[in-house]
Amino acid sequence: MTSLIPPELRARLRDLRLAARGGAGGDGLGQHASRSRGAGLEFAQYRAYEPGDELRRIDWKLYARSDRYFVREAERDSPLTAWAIVDASASMRQADAARPGYAKLDAAKTLAACVFELALRQGDRFGLIALAATAPTFVPAGAGSRQRDRCLLELARLQAAGRWPEAAALRPLWERVQPSAVVVMFSDFFDDEAVELALRLAAARREVLTVQMLSAEERDFPFAGGHRLRDPESRAERRVEASAVRKDYLERFAAARAELARRFGAAGIRHVEYVLDRPLDEPLRTFFAPGATRASGGGGAA
Amino acid sequence: MSFALLAPLGLAALAALALPLLIHLVRRLELKTTDFAALRWVAERMRPQRRLRFERPWLLLMRLVLLALFALLLARPVWNGDAPPTRVWTVVAPGVALADARAAAGAGDSEWHRLAPGFPRMDETEAPAQIATASLLRELDAQLPPGVALTVVVPETLSGLDGEKPRLSRAVEWRVVPGKMPDRPAVPGKPFHLAVRYAAQSEDSLRYLRAAVVAWNQSGRRHCELDAQPAEAPVAETSDALIWLAPSSSVLNRWLDRGGVALAANHPGNEGEPLWRDATGNVLARTVANGHGRLIALPGALTPDQLPMLLDADFPERLRVVLGDVLSAPTQAQAAAMRPTADAATAGSQASRLHAARPLDAWLALLIAAVFLFERVVATWPRTEREA
Repeated sequence: MTSLIPPELRARLRDLRLAARGGAGGDGLGQHASRSRGAGLEFAQYRAYEPGDELRRIDWKLYARSDRYFVREAERDSPLTAWAIVDASASMRQADAARPGYAKLDAAKTLAACVFELALRQGDRFGLIALAATAPTFVPAGAGSRQRDRCLLELARLQAAGRWPEAAALRPLWERVQPSAVVVMFSDFFDDEAVELALRLAAARREVLTVQMLSAEERDFPFAGGHRLRDPESRAERRVEASAVRKDYLERFAAARAELARRFGAAGIRHVEYVLDRPLDEPLRTFFAPGATRASGGGGAA
Repeated sequence: MSFALLAPLGLAALAALALPLLIHLVRRLELKTTDFAALRWVAERMRPQRRLRFERPWLLLMRLVLLALFALLLARPVWNGDAPPTRVWTVVAPGVALADARAAAGAGDSEWHRLAPGFPRMDETEAPAQIATASLLRELDAQLPPGVALTVVVPETLSGLDGEKPRLSRAVEWRVVPGKMPDRPAVPGKPFHLAVRYAAQSEDSLRYLRAAVVAWNQSGRRHCELDAQPAEAPVAETSDALIWLAPSSSVLNRWLDRGGVALAANHPGNEGEPLWRDATGNVLARTVANGHGRLIALPGALTPDQLPMLLDADFPERLRVVLGDVLSAPTQAQAAAMRPTADAATAGSQASRLHAARPLDAWLALLIAAVFLFERVVATWPRTEREA
């Protein structure tokens, strides 16, 4: 199952950390026991006792010294939940002529597996939502290596086909993805419904990271001569003279990508493009490299 | 130094050039089907243009060159050899003093030759006594490559001419100097033998024939010997013509079968071309092809009452023409009047331009083989990704 992640990629994952920009602790500080030690149990501050605080959280030694009640607060990341949403519509079948066997979906599977790997390493919970044509596949959030295997198995079964699922089929998604969960969405965002979903998730206080999967052909349009271009989703065909249409296409496609980035940015979504001929850890590094998260977020106590 | 085609119609094979053009064109109209998810941003109005585009242009070029070379091979190209080293020829006719010729032709840088068979150099041989001037001029003109200027130095009086002014393919510098070309000897060697065979009753006609022969011999031209004998005598093989004044016999027929010319009296008949007519249009003599020879048939006897022209002053001349001893054209003339004319038609059809032509077939075949080899190499070259 681990063959989804090549060894050299796994090596480069070492210094990445899955972290939420808004800080963890949506579930409350120290509300439940965690097996993870270390960073989570770091001392943060003392504050004055307020009525309603639990008595056991009073630092009695400090009381003995200063004759006042202080509550010891620890900055402790409660385990976050990471969701990977993988678009498996037919447009994700697109691959480059230079590397025919490597479709956008394949790259998305590997990136999702990397997210699971990162979450597993940190003891976080993670789940998978695969949006295929017939019915969306949900792997409920969980932790541990068995959870990882369940997710990878589901990823391996995933085939790109059909169109974006109906809105009704997506309703369970809202029940499962809790607020303040980290949602990493892998899609080409050619469907407006995919963009809508990302925007609505962000508006509903989920932390959304989007990776737009593009093939090099879509970026460069390296065709020449007469071509019959076929949309894999709608089966629509368009006969074009490639060299004549190229300039116009590049302008319009760049404008569409810029518009998408602008909309996501306005909604507070961290957005990155991934083109198939680039190294796979690039988008992950953008999101999860040390400093990348803290630069904009920083983990404050709630 | 020029290039010529012996069979220019072979270039019609260039029409075959359309073949590879078509082959490389037709395959271009196919469209490649490509899955492309970002179809929404591809402009719809840009239809594929049915431009005339050629696939694999280098291969096409090779094939075109190959076909063009084949067409050239069919057209049989030749290479006209290098230009002669000298561009000016001066020929001197016999009867001109060398000093006069030098003075007339000027001190140009030219080759000096005699106007004689073989056109020997000036210093090699003596001038011949007798030449056929007009014929030699034409031969020289045909032999010289085009572009060689020709200067001819002639004496005032030319001989050895023929019926007309020489017409040459080039303009000739015609220098006339004082002098006289020796004429041909006045009397040609061999006399004209005229045999007459007569029956007894026709003996009177002999007077007119004898008178005619005497008239011929006095005119100073070819001597005529008359051999008049009774009809029973055999006819000598060396005779040039026969006059038969007797009833038709096997001797006359044999003479005609051998291809001789005979004049026969008392030989009525309607066949043959009218030869002589009297003033009212009656036919006095006919000429008939008979066996291999020619028979001049007189319907009546050779007497003044039957043939009044027998008494005319020009009868000997007419008889002589009929019997085949034709007059020769004058061969002497003033050189100034015989200036050769340049004739464009002669120049155009001049075959002599090709006298030094070398065929290029072997080299062309070698070239074709090389191009074919290249074509095969290019054709089997693995296609690049863009073309595949």
